[in-house]
Amino acid sequence: MKLQHNLGGLEGLPQPLTLEKRVFVEEWEKRIFGIHVAMMGLSNHLGSALPEYPIAEVPTAFRDEWTWADLRTGAEAMNPFDYFKFRYYEKWLGGITQFFIDKGYVSEDELAAAVGAAAPSPDGAGDAIDDQVIDYLRRGDSPRRDVAHPRFAVGQKVRITDVPAGAHTRLPGYLRARTGTVQRIFEGDYGYFVETGDGIGDPMPIYIVEFTPHELWGVRAEPGANTLYAELFEAYLQPVEENQ
Amino acid sequence: MTDQFAYPADREKSSADRVAALEHLLIEKGVITAATVEKVLSYFESEMTPLNGKKIVVKAWTDPDFAARVVDDTPAALAELDLPEGMAGAEGEHLQAVANVPGVHNVVICTLCSCFPWPVLGLPPYWYKDPVFRARAAREPRTVLAEVGVALPEDTEIKVWDSSGHSRWFVIPERPSGTEDLTDAELMDLVTTESMIGVALAGQPA
Repeated sequence: MKLQHNLGGLEGLPQPLTLEKRVFVEEWEKRIFGIHVAMMGLSNHLGSALPEYPIAEVPTAFRDEWTWADLRTGAEAMNPFDYFKFRYYEKWLGGITQFFIDKGYVSEDELAAAVGAAAPSPDGAGDAIDDQVIDYLRRGDSPRRDVAHPRFAVGQKVRITDVPAGAHTRLPGYLRARTGTVQRIFEGDYGYFVETGDGIGDPMPIYIVEFTPHELWGVRAEPGANTLYAELFEAYLQPVEENQ
Repeated sequence: MTDQFAYPADREKSSADRVAALEHLLIEKGVITAATVEKVLSYFESEMTPLNGKKIVVKAWTDPDFAARVVDDTPAALAELDLPEGMAGAEGEHLQAVANVPGVHNVVICTLCSCFPWPVLGLPPYWYKDPVFRARAAREPRTVLAEVGVALPEDTEIKVWDSSGHSRWFVIPERPSGTEDLTDAELMDLVTTESMIGVALAGQPA
């Protein structure tokens, strides 16, 4: 069981909360954000995405797939102490750098040698790379593949699955084995970037499932009229009857 | 345990050096160009900012039909407005608005990561990505809201939306009372990123 899959509802954390409203707290964080977005916009899977991007024709040396699933899998694989220890973009820097090393784009020696090197000036070469990245930002990468083929109906009680989570999941841990009510069925079937091993990947319906605080937290629920809505892939839902 | 949370003395410098070295090598090897990162940042600094969200909210405040449509079919309603090209682009492919009304207050969270409606609000502020916020808001939203200055009546229902699927959620906050005579520009000044995620009310000091 991974802390990162079970963050929702964790108790004993610091109070009171203060809101750090900055997006970046160090200038260097902007660079890793930009690199990540470029990787997403140059990912080889975009050739078969919706819309279909002419990715094979883009003159980039990047020839791998890079999506949110890759970044998230890395974050979920972290030592949970490190997950709390490092700021958001520190985690990105670690995960993305390791990806480029693992895939052979750069080596530790090259990274060490490049520290302090003068930044190359833009010279207009490879503009088509930048155009693709910006085109991706403007047109996106929708996971929708079809109209919905739902197995469950609005108002139906469902029990959330409790299958073992793999390296990556889209099922928040605090919902496992809980019972909720289908509040909405989205209009399409939606894929996920990768097969996570716990049921998602191929296009399937997504639901809003409504949970009462008492169902989720029992006597430790916060008093008051609260409702939690989770957006869940169909693979994470089971009819209640099957479990009785 | 003692060194589990020890940071190197040059924590920020070593990260800055490393990311600069990485970017340098990626440019040298033809993965990205020397302009790529700047162009990405510029896209978010100039076009995909909370200004888009403010326009959406003020339109909803001043046009009840639009207010209904933006919750019903968010992408179609946004397409009516004069917003930058790309509202349905990255992290906006499936936008979904929820509206605060008397007696109902919405909060958007992402307990697994940091899903955020980029085209509407720009990039997420640090608090949204903070594991402590994500953990606590799922279980005790009322307490968390009170800590950040949103004291809700006991009988106000708090709806927490955990973004674990394809949608990217944002909140249409309630229009503050006494704002009937304000211009659209003045109304936009009342709307913050925090109010469009539900951890502030519109009109609260930013």
